Amino acid sequence: MHRMIELSPLWLTLKLAFFTTLILFFIAIPVAAWLSHKKTIFKTIAEVIVSMPLVLPPSVIGFYMLLAFSPGNAFGALLEKWFNARLVFSFEGLLVASVIYSLPFMIHPIQSGLSSLPPSLKEASYSLGKTKFQTLLRVLLPNIKPSLLTGIVLTFAHTIGEFGVVLMIGGNIPGKTRTASVAIYDEVEAFNYHNANVYAVILLVLSFSILFILYLYNRRLQQVKIF
Amino acid sequence: MVFLTAFTSIAGFTQIKITVAVAANMQYAMEALKAEFNKTDKTEISIVLGASGKLTQQIMQSAPFDVFISADTSFPEKLMQNNLAAEPPKVYAQGILVLWSAEPGIQPAADLKLLLNENIQHIAIANPKTAPYGAAAEFILKKYGLYDKIASKLVTGESITQASQFIATQAADIGFTAKSIVISAEMKGKGKWIELNRNDYPPIKQAAVLLKYGRENHAAAAKNFYDFLFSKQAKLIYKNFGYIVQ
Repeated sequence: MHRMIELSPLWLTLKLAFFTTLILFFIAIPVAAWLSHKKTIFKTIAEVIVSMPLVLPPSVIGFYMLLAFSPGNAFGALLEKWFNARLVFSFEGLLVASVIYSLPFMIHPIQSGLSSLPPSLKEASYSLGKTKFQTLLRVLLPNIKPSLLTGIVLTFAHTIGEFGVVLMIGGNIPGKTRTASVAIYDEVEAFNYHNANVYAVILLVLSFSILFILYLYNRRLQQVKIF
Repeated sequence: MVFLTAFTSIAGFTQIKITVAVAANMQYAMEALKAEFNKTDKTEISIVLGASGKLTQQIMQSAPFDVFISADTSFPEKLMQNNLAAEPPKVYAQGILVLWSAEPGIQPAADLKLLLNENIQHIAIANPKTAPYGAAAEFILKKYGLYDKIASKLVTGESITQASQFIATQAADIGFTAKSIVISAEMKGKGKWIELNRNDYPPIKQAAVLLKYGRENHAAAAKNFYDFLFSKQAKLIYKNFGYIVQ
């Protein structure tokens, strides 16, 4: 009755989480730096957009992505024509979806970290002749390490837990889009409680360890209070 | 207190409501069945749609469903074995498997050879483990010796509805679904479809079962609706919605 448990969904989940975190990290820093400056109405709108994935159900995001990525749609057709890429039912598609879906988890901690720094830090650096970019890289970012770490870990963990979007645009392809969360769902549906349990326990332990290390590390740094 | 009594007495007179778990392929026929049934019996019917396997799963975890309308016979049998059915399941109709594409350039053909074409990248199928139409599609692909060659193109919908949605939105180039879906008013005219050879896959005999929950909670109402599923009027509806009836 028990089929051997496959490791590919777990591996795929880690791969997706890793690349999502990597991409988001480089997107989030400039966006967060921009958002942490003084507010204009335009920035407030940008902030709302960044936060949207927090409140929107994954089914809404999944639904729009399914439509957008389909070759029957103008945007999907363009992608296919210009880049010969079809994002629906592909790992790359999941990656794009995950980046959007986890956006606030990376941007919010970095943004609040940057906002909490005293302005004098930045001003001192400027008066010493450093450019904005140098200041960000050499002065500001090293001072918000706990925030950066929080952003990285939350994004990674959140992507591991992603389910609804993957279910809607993934197509459940082994090795490509069948992530661990979908594999669990699949095993439960097929009455393979044993296998579902194995996946679930692995995810549980993994998520606990990741968060535990984060809290431990942040406690040691004892700098910025994040939660 | 008076208010409470008044309230409960009103509640006592309200219409009985039964919940019917319905295999996804039956979603369109179900609306017609409901309307026909309510012409003579005012029992309110609430519908829960899903893949047959998933609904079976839910019933086994004591979901409050009165009647289960499956897309096959094995899931209702399973409920019977688990002592969750009030009486043995009965076949109400037989389903027809079709190949369907919404892309203008693709003409589905019953020999399935076109699935090997390079311009077909994604083939939608319902999850064979939980959806009987998915299992039938997998069977026919294996029978034609195509399964291993196109396995990497298969995208799995969690039910026949999701597989159909992949096809209708052209997210998948082509796919397998139920005839009842492609001839429904909602999907009619969207792309092209063809019936697959009925001798090449095991007959999709669809059975319904009266559940124990139904007998225990709404005995008369559930039984009336269950019996209606095998009536002459219901059979006409199945036929109009793309099923074979004996």
